[in-house]
Amino acid sequence: MMAIRELKVCLLGDTGVGKSSIVCRFVQDHFDHNISPTIGASFMTKTVPCGNELHKFLIWDTAGQERFHSLAPMYYRGSAAAVIVYDITKQDSFHTLKKWVKELKEHGPENIVMAIAGNKCDLSDIREVPLKDAREYAESIGAVVVETSAKNAINVEELFQGISRQIPPLDPHENGNNGTIKIGKPPSQAGRRCC
Amino acid sequence: MADNLPSEFDVIVIGTGLPESIIAAACSRSGQRVLHVDSRSYYGGNWASFSFSGLLSWLKEHQENSDIVNECPAWQEKILENEEAIALSKKDKTIQHVEVFCYARYESQDLHEDVEEAGALQKNHATVTSVNSTEAADPACLPIADESLSTVSCEMPTEPTPSSNPESAREVNDVEAAGEKENPCDEKTCVLSTSEEETRKNVPTTEDTAEQPKKNRITYSQIVKEGRRFNIDLVSKLLYSRGLLIDLLIKSNVSRYAEFKNITRILAFRDGRVEQVPCSRADVFNSKQLTMVEKRMLMKFLTFCMEYEEHPDEYKAYEEISFSEYLKTQKLTPNLQYFVLHSIAMTSETASSTIDGLKATRNFLHCLGRYGNTPFLFPLYGQGELPQCFCRMCAVFGGIYCLRHSVQCLVVDKESGKCKAIIDHFGQRIISKHFLVEDSYFSENTCSRVQYRQISRAVLITDRSVLKTDSDQQISILTVPAEEPGASAVRVIELCSSTMTCMKGTYLVHLTCTSAKTAREDLEPVVQKLFTPYTETEIENEEVEKPRLLWALYFNMRDSSDISRNSYNDLPPNVYVCSGPDCGLGNDNAVKQAEALFQQVCPNEDFCPPPPNPEDIILDGDSSQPEALESSATPEANSETLKESGNLGNSEEPSE
Repeated sequence: MMAIRELKVCLLGDTGVGKSSIVCRFVQDHFDHNISPTIGASFMTKTVPCGNELHKFLIWDTAGQERFHSLAPMYYRGSAAAVIVYDITKQDSFHTLKKWVKELKEHGPENIVMAIAGNKCDLSDIREVPLKDAREYAESIGAVVVETSAKNAINVEELFQGISRQIPPLDPHENGNNGTIKIGKPPSQAGRRCC
Repeated sequence: MADNLPSEFDVIVIGTGLPESIIAAACSRSGQRVLHVDSRSYYGGNWASFSFSGLLSWLKEHQENSDIVNECPAWQEKILENEEAIALSKKDKTIQHVEVFCYARYESQDLHEDVEEAGALQKNHATVTSVNSTEAADPACLPIADESLSTVSCEMPTEPTPSSNPESAREVNDVEAAGEKENPCDEKTCVLSTSEEETRKNVPTTEDTAEQPKKNRITYSQIVKEGRRFNIDLVSKLLYSRGLLIDLLIKSNVSRYAEFKNITRILAFRDGRVEQVPCSRADVFNSKQLTMVEKRMLMKFLTFCMEYEEHPDEYKAYEEISFSEYLKTQKLTPNLQYFVLHSIAMTSETASSTIDGLKATRNFLHCLGRYGNTPFLFPLYGQGELPQCFCRMCAVFGGIYCLRHSVQCLVVDKESGKCKAIIDHFGQRIISKHFLVEDSYFSENTCSRVQYRQISRAVLITDRSVLKTDSDQQISILTVPAEEPGASAVRVIELCSSTMTCMKGTYLVHLTCTSAKTAREDLEPVVQKLFTPYTETEIENEEVEKPRLLWALYFNMRDSSDISRNSYNDLPPNVYVCSGPDCGLGNDNAVKQAEALFQQVCPNEDFCPPPPNPEDIILDGDSSQPEALESSATPEANSETLKESGNLGNSEEPSE
């Protein structure tokens, strides 16, 4: 049995660039044109293999709190990775992407893996952001970058595979949660594991 | 991003403190359209936590508060003939008597460098993308003065001062205080404490500055650089592991947003010494400080307390007397009486009756063992995470969030007497059915009859624990009884770096008591008993075992809990008041308040029930996704609610 590592991933980017759609595609392989602004599910999970580990992504959505610039610092806590999304048909959204990156550097954990997703690449005929710009920028900040289409299921898996590859292998010294308690689950009842 | 707010809601919540956030979550969860606003740039109001630079900015804001008048479009003309307005307050008056002391040295090589918190350029710690970055707090800028306070306290022990004579130092201070309060003082003119006694103690001597700072000493510039490692709570509380807040976190599934640490030690301060209080069965048996006889006595008494109600004959006769008197009648040595009274029941000689003391003792024991050896939990990254967790839950169910959003007034319909809308700082009118307002937003007109109590707070950064043990990662609570009868005991909570509230090599110490005087007057005696200012230690060796103070902050916070609604003037029936933090250790007050108000807004609705099964909530979803199973190695492609809904907090992770 491979070890499962839980990895929190937070999503960032302007309202309407397709953050939820990307997750929905990744987790449920589903796309909905009339996706309502993010109601109900506060994070989604999906497990993918990576080397001799299984990466269980806990993907957090902004729950719309970014809309009026009111994301809470707790949103970033303990994130292993961040997916920062822009819309290739909107130059503005690429511009604010940089602000999100800055934001992340200020409030996010150190060593967070950053992945940039230029979403809506199915609409490249009305593209405003050249891929080259995104690549250059991503390189400058050491981020993974891909253009995705949540609608046509392009590169969404690859986006998360890219993140998986960037996650450093588990540090044996930091193994275990050194006394951190999650409530709502039974507190460290080692004996209760079934089968 | 010029997004406009919708103009109609069911519930508008003003203020993002813990009670408001719980109510917002509860209302949103039961289907109300919620708008949640805060005029501040961060979540939590007086329940917030700050990075070091964030805290300095907060301090500065409280200093500048009096000067800033926000230019807002006039709302008066927007009030119609059949309406009245209740203006809200523009400034926060809940914090007073702010005093800051820096004992840590600058590293000499850093003196003229720009020291700033790594990465944190932003003025406030809430996350913003549109707001321009402001400069990080100038490390040399420490003078913080409340408008009501004439003293500016700021000590820079490293830099040679113009004179080491306390009298002339005071003069400098007076000039500074009178003249340039707002201006950051540079290192050279930085003033010393106003208190003569303080000054004498902390005035740097030439020998001091000549000495090479030792490598392992934490300097002020290190604190500033590592400032984001700090999450400094304005209120210092813990969660009782079986308290209402833990129950609510589990019930509502909000618990998934936070992680906790168990408090590892209960400490007592007795005869000038800090010692550990044995409270669990294992502690009692392992204790070296108790004799065998004492161990048996204590176990017997604690066992009785667990089920005291079943043995009324054992305490009925003592109902009229205080708990401390009652303890004397029990077979307990003075040592044990002290532990039970101050550290377990956490009361004082006079404050509690026998029944109250027994209840408190039972509550303490009842909470033991659920998560660890003590009854308390502390949230990683600080208490300020908790309001944010509830806000997230509110947002997940559709609540709309706006920080930096002031409300100018409430609009009241004359005929019905009910509040019908707010007018915000853009002049926009937003309609709603219910309005929940945190107390500090009300103007003096509304609160003219309200009598507030005060909480005295101190925040210290120290270099070691008050009680050294093998592990440097202890989280401790210590109750220091009042010296004079009638004064209140001081609660001390010491946090280590693994709580994610302070940088490695430091401890964050919170002191709290009900105010009698200013925070410094109330708390400094205790600080002096437990700690020694950084600069003294090299001279007085016998003091070395005490932790050294690197930095200290004192302030008073208004306590608006327990204020009856009737004390406020002319509140419409659909305007509800939420109080700021109370002085108590637990959070029961906030939860009770939130639940009571929620029941008024949404009668007969369940309070924060667990989220429904993912099938019911997944995005518009009648899509059963067979493809997902193929594409994923381990098909667990579901909203995380799957694994935790259903049985409250007792389900287990599917696999691990």
